[in-house]
Amino acid sequence: MSQENLYGEISDAIVNLNEEKARELANKAIGKNLNILNVIEEGFGAGIRRVGELWDAGEFFLPELMRGAKIMQDCLDLLIPHLQGGIERKTLGKVVIATIEGDIHSIGKTIVATMLRAYGFEVYDLGADVPAEKIIDEAIEKNVDIIGVSALLTTTMLGQKKVIEILKKKGISNKFKVILGGAPVTSKWVEECGADGYAGNAVEAVELAKSLLHR
Amino acid sequence: MLFHDWLKDDSKIILFDGAMGTEIFKRGIEPGKIPDILNIEKPDIISEIHKSYYDIGSDMCQTCTFGSSPLNLKKYKLEDRIKEINGKALENIKKVCPPNCLIVGDIGPSGEFRSPVGNTTSEQWQSSFASQVKILEQGVDLWHLETISDIEEMQAAIRAVKKNSEKPIIASMTYKKTPRGYFTIMGDSLEKCIQILEQEKVDVIGANCTIGSNDMIGLIEESIKLTNKPLSAKPNAGQPKIDENGRPFYEYPPKDFARDIHDMINLGAKIVGGCCGTSPQTIKEIRKIIDSL
Repeated sequence: MSQENLYGEISDAIVNLNEEKARELANKAIGKNLNILNVIEEGFGAGIRRVGELWDAGEFFLPELMRGAKIMQDCLDLLIPHLQGGIERKTLGKVVIATIEGDIHSIGKTIVATMLRAYGFEVYDLGADVPAEKIIDEAIEKNVDIIGVSALLTTTMLGQKKVIEILKKKGISNKFKVILGGAPVTSKWVEECGADGYAGNAVEAVELAKSLLHR
Repeated sequence: MLFHDWLKDDSKIILFDGAMGTEIFKRGIEPGKIPDILNIEKPDIISEIHKSYYDIGSDMCQTCTFGSSPLNLKKYKLEDRIKEINGKALENIKKVCPPNCLIVGDIGPSGEFRSPVGNTTSEQWQSSFASQVKILEQGVDLWHLETISDIEEMQAAIRAVKKNSEKPIIASMTYKKTPRGYFTIMGDSLEKCIQILEQEKVDVIGANCTIGSNDMIGLIEESIKLTNKPLSAKPNAGQPKIDENGRPFYEYPPKDFARDIHDMINLGAKIVGGCCGTSPQTIKEIRKIIDSL
């Protein structure tokens, strides 16, 4: 099988949510000593991007998105120790993510965290109902590149702004990129808060994170 | 029973209430607090909101118990207070419900998902909903199971009601509009949901939340082709925005909302009302339209 065919098969396995096949192909790539970086980018990466497109088109829904991302993540765990030339691709960047204080809605945030991990980001998911101060403390401690703050309620959205205000007060707002998400969040709100970006869904969040870090 | 009489009366359009959460936030509830706890902490506010809807013309209003099932209350560490919250909610609505109007027992989603999104089972859902149903059963006239995005969770809720109550059920799923039609975020199509809700023998098939009234017109148009059951619609007043003071608001005007509702009634909707962003003002506009029919 040519490498291109293998990439295609891997991508199909992700889109078909065929976990067994995806793992088998990951092991095959390792056994053949292929360039693992290319396998990840052109096989698995292409697959998860198609999953994202199918979500946008209304063909895939939450269960498919979560399953696709989980299969991809499992396969990355298999592949990453075999990266040639060290583990520089081990992470595209570090992200701390949380649903803001007062808001217990975690599903959207969890999907974004899962997709970011699937794409190769190192993600620290702090859960829901997390105070702005704690998010920032974790961001500093883990030395992350991106802070992601989710809010589902219009009343808790103000907490997203608070994160940015505290960063400014501490004089460290240039150390992190802050991205916002959640059903009521709009690009106008992001602008008003002075955040670095807005993503309407998990696939966009990955693209946003990559572009902010020039990956 | 009054509700069945209304359903049988072809000339009757049943007017439901508008938003509870939006009205509570207008009165300055602190972020993140579950509105249901106000049944205990601020009972007068809850009664006042119910009263404002009954007074302006709602035929029926729903209890402030959207999140008062154990699975959801647990997230707020309030599961031990389930009896108190649901019990007080009944008191708060009973004292303002006028004669010839009805009290609807409101049951919202558990907030927990089945695999692969979460790990909750149908049995867990059913047992959680049943705990809430048993308490509300003492004071409600009918049920509204609403804003549910997984038809399996809805089935668990319906079964929980049927095991503990013989009162009528309105089952409202929440749909998003996709390029391929109306689906729940779990991927259940409108057609599939309606088919299952018919099998489960609910009294009214409904849709609420997520989409605005303009998109709900299309959903009702589709639904009417798929079922002979009475239909209920409680759409949102568009999407929320944030004003310069950081306060959320819905900009879709009540008159426009009521005009959309008029279209839904013309298509065949039997029960109409509003979800997020609607107010007594919205219900007033709809009342005018219904009275002019």
